[in-house]
Amino acid sequence: MKWFKKLAVVTLAAAFTLSAVTSAGAASKLSGKVVINGSSALLPLTLQAANEFKKLHPKVKISASAAGSVTGPQAVRKGIADIGACDWDASTDVPGFKKFTGQVANKVAVIPFAAVVNSNVKVDNLTTKQLQDIFSGKVTNWKDVGGSDAEIVVVNRSFGSGTRVNFQLKALKGSDFMSKGSNYKEVKSSGDMKTAVESTPNAIGYMDLAYVTSKMTALKIDGVAPTEANVINKKYDVWSYGYYMTSEKPSDATKEFIKYVQSAKFQNGSLKKLKFIPISAMK
Amino acid sequence: MLNPSTAGQPAAAGELGSSLKSRSGKPFDRKSRLFFTNRLFRYICIGCAAFVCLILLAILGLMFRTGILTFRDVSLSEFFFSAEWVPENEQYGALSFIFGTLALTLLTLAISVPISIFVAVFLAVMTPGWLKNLLRPVMDLLVGIPSVVYGYLGLTILIPLIRDLTGSSMGDGLLAASLVLTVMVLPTISRISDDAISAVPKRYVDASYALGGTRFQTIFKVMLPAAKSGIMYAVILGMARAIGETMAVVMVIGNTPQLADSLLKPTSVLTSNIVMQIPNVPFDSTWNYALYMMGFLLLVISLLMIVAVRLFQRKGGRV
Amino acid sequence: MRPTTAERNPFSSGRSMNRLRNHIFTALVWSIGITVILFIFGLLFLILKDGLPKLSLEFLYGLPSEIEEGGGIGPMLFNSFYILIISLIIAIPLGMAAGIYLAEFAPDNKWIGFVRICVEGLASVPSLIFGLFGIALFVELFEVGLTILGAAVSLAFLNLPVLTRVTEESIRAVPQDIKNASFALGGTHLQTIIRVLIPVAQNGIITGICLVAGRAFGESAVIILTGGVSTSGEMWDFNLLSPGANLAVHLWYVQSEAIVPDAADIAQKAAAVLVCIVLTINLLFRIPLWLSSRRLK
Repeated sequence: MKWFKKLAVVTLAAAFTLSAVTSAGAASKLSGKVVINGSSALLPLTLQAANEFKKLHPKVKISASAAGSVTGPQAVRKGIADIGACDWDASTDVPGFKKFTGQVANKVAVIPFAAVVNSNVKVDNLTTKQLQDIFSGKVTNWKDVGGSDAEIVVVNRSFGSGTRVNFQLKALKGSDFMSKGSNYKEVKSSGDMKTAVESTPNAIGYMDLAYVTSKMTALKIDGVAPTEANVINKKYDVWSYGYYMTSEKPSDATKEFIKYVQSAKFQNGSLKKLKFIPISAMK
Repeated sequence: MLNPSTAGQPAAAGELGSSLKSRSGKPFDRKSRLFFTNRLFRYICIGCAAFVCLILLAILGLMFRTGILTFRDVSLSEFFFSAEWVPENEQYGALSFIFGTLALTLLTLAISVPISIFVAVFLAVMTPGWLKNLLRPVMDLLVGIPSVVYGYLGLTILIPLIRDLTGSSMGDGLLAASLVLTVMVLPTISRISDDAISAVPKRYVDASYALGGTRFQTIFKVMLPAAKSGIMYAVILGMARAIGETMAVVMVIGNTPQLADSLLKPTSVLTSNIVMQIPNVPFDSTWNYALYMMGFLLLVISLLMIVAVRLFQRKGGRV
Repeated sequence: MRPTTAERNPFSSGRSMNRLRNHIFTALVWSIGITVILFIFGLLFLILKDGLPKLSLEFLYGLPSEIEEGGGIGPMLFNSFYILIISLIIAIPLGMAAGIYLAEFAPDNKWIGFVRICVEGLASVPSLIFGLFGIALFVELFEVGLTILGAAVSLAFLNLPVLTRVTEESIRAVPQDIKNASFALGGTHLQTIIRVLIPVAQNGIITGICLVAGRAFGESAVIILTGGVSTSGEMWDFNLLSPGANLAVHLWYVQSEAIVPDAADIAQKAAAVLVCIVLTINLLFRIPLWLSSRRLK
């Protein structure tokens, strides 16, 4: 009898597919589907915005997923997503990635980054030059930058991560990372970075300011502490915009969703609570 | 197919089963219906087996079609014999990942297979019935724990432990990864071996004891050889899981593209490198093709290992 | 009842060696067995001790939250079950039929050897690659996007080979004389398989289903790629085309990206819930087995 069950499921699935296709075709102004993919750093923001948006427009279906930043604009280009979240402006060239033509970048948030160390490290301030030397593997001992005599464990994000691209551009001024060594490891996500820096003595890494916890030390860079206030008054310049990439002619639901994310209500409400900085603050 | 003479004849013969006796007069009487359903069932089964093969071939095809494009820009010898993996500089040498995968799998099997077989013997032969009923579901349960949880425990408990015991400054590497994998494959290998050992007919065991064999001899000379096919399958399945496991390995191996010359040096394997980089890779780039090629390699390595185990098994004698 | 004629028996040394080895072996098996079991319980304790005491009904039933503490896992939990059930409905018949073919009908030749290698090879394909395959199939070919349907079918593909091999192994293990008895009673091949072989082999098959169900429940790599990281945000959403994040994906998300202040709490609780559910699944599948084995006694 199991064959019939299977058959039933397949027919059911086909029926659902059909009905979805027809309903999407007959979309009125504020119904439809918004598919979002891309940067995982922007995922909490996207999910929160989607929840609030769905309450305003119950007919709009929003599905969000995330992989890496570059997935976003790529998915938009392939037509499998309406919005591609990306940690950099994908309509321009960045180290390692070519620009995507025919796409519009919509700023949605300001993301500050911080270099962090394990709480056993006695250093709390590094110059840009020292950061460059540590992350390129030229300096391998904390005593060379004013700490105690211990080997530096460098924790890096993997090549292609949006956080890595931004940290390289803004904090290291474009200088190269090391790629091997017995005290060097790469991690997959902000959460893994957090766990690695928290639990590995003498470790240094970097992450979005929002992920910094009390169990680690956020370093001052050239004497400036990574705080929201310092970002807004432009003393601390290791930050970047988060972008929603869309095609040149997005659907109405997509436009409306981006408008909602950029609205003062969302920017000063939920976005702030998620520890991003509103885009209006940088003008 | 329809043969009215045979179907009609036994109407008088009362001693034949009632199933064949009653002929309803319809063109599809019971016998031909049975014949038909048997045939149909057989074809459905063949279809399903073919479907399983089809999926594998489709996956292989997908990986190969994309992966082969790597060699437009990267020479074969660079891909297989160089350990320089620097996508920033268009260097795609996968040697350290291939080596890492083989080393990690062998190390994991070397630790887990002996322990698993002991555990299987323990479960199948030595524990009383009530304990079996308690322990078997618990073992099955371990398979269902998400690999993220194993990885997290490895990262927060095992690695600090390794760091303290060995005095190395990181602790990530083959040793940590293989210990985590051992915990993950142990329930799989021991539960399937346990089932195989339990399925050995009791008369073999009785015969062995009747000949004066000790328990040790019975288990090693009779039960394990008789259950060999099942145990082999368990090992293959465990090995497959060890080769293919990603989410847990990626958290404890260190993800540094360098050849591991010590158990404590951060390194990288095929799966962990794919899962680290696939989200960040631009489509239509050599980098992407190289990752697919590595996926294809992963498949080929596990298929080769399976063939090797099968040949080894055949050589060892038929079961 | 061992003869105590050791001093005259020419085989005495061998025999006492045997007995010694037997004792050592028994002790070894017991100690390894007990160590592993203690280790397993320790592991379970580690996972459960932080999460279990904090569990509440609101957590199981509630909607997730991105900002405030106290978010629940309701839609993910529902999706987990929904995806699991659909994938089992697809995988069990297909896998069992293929296994039955290999055990009962297949001739012993090179071609079938190749099929077996295919099945085992498929079992060793990393789940990640099934995810990539799922993307190619559902997102790019059928263009349905990230859905429960895609997640369930990809998961079914992942589980097929294990089910096939477990079914084959357990049916092969059925003693030939039971089968012969069925044939002698006039049973057709189909009747023999359905009425005799499968019931006798059910122990092994159910172990296989438990393994597969547990693995499917805890699988995240496939689902992230084919089902997405979000849900439709409602409970009891049976639409197969809704986004299909399940509990394991949510656990991954909370551990790796979430900014909510109680992320660690949620992760611990979610892990505890996962473990409890997998245990329950195992028990539920086993109850019919216990009942039937009791009846046979």
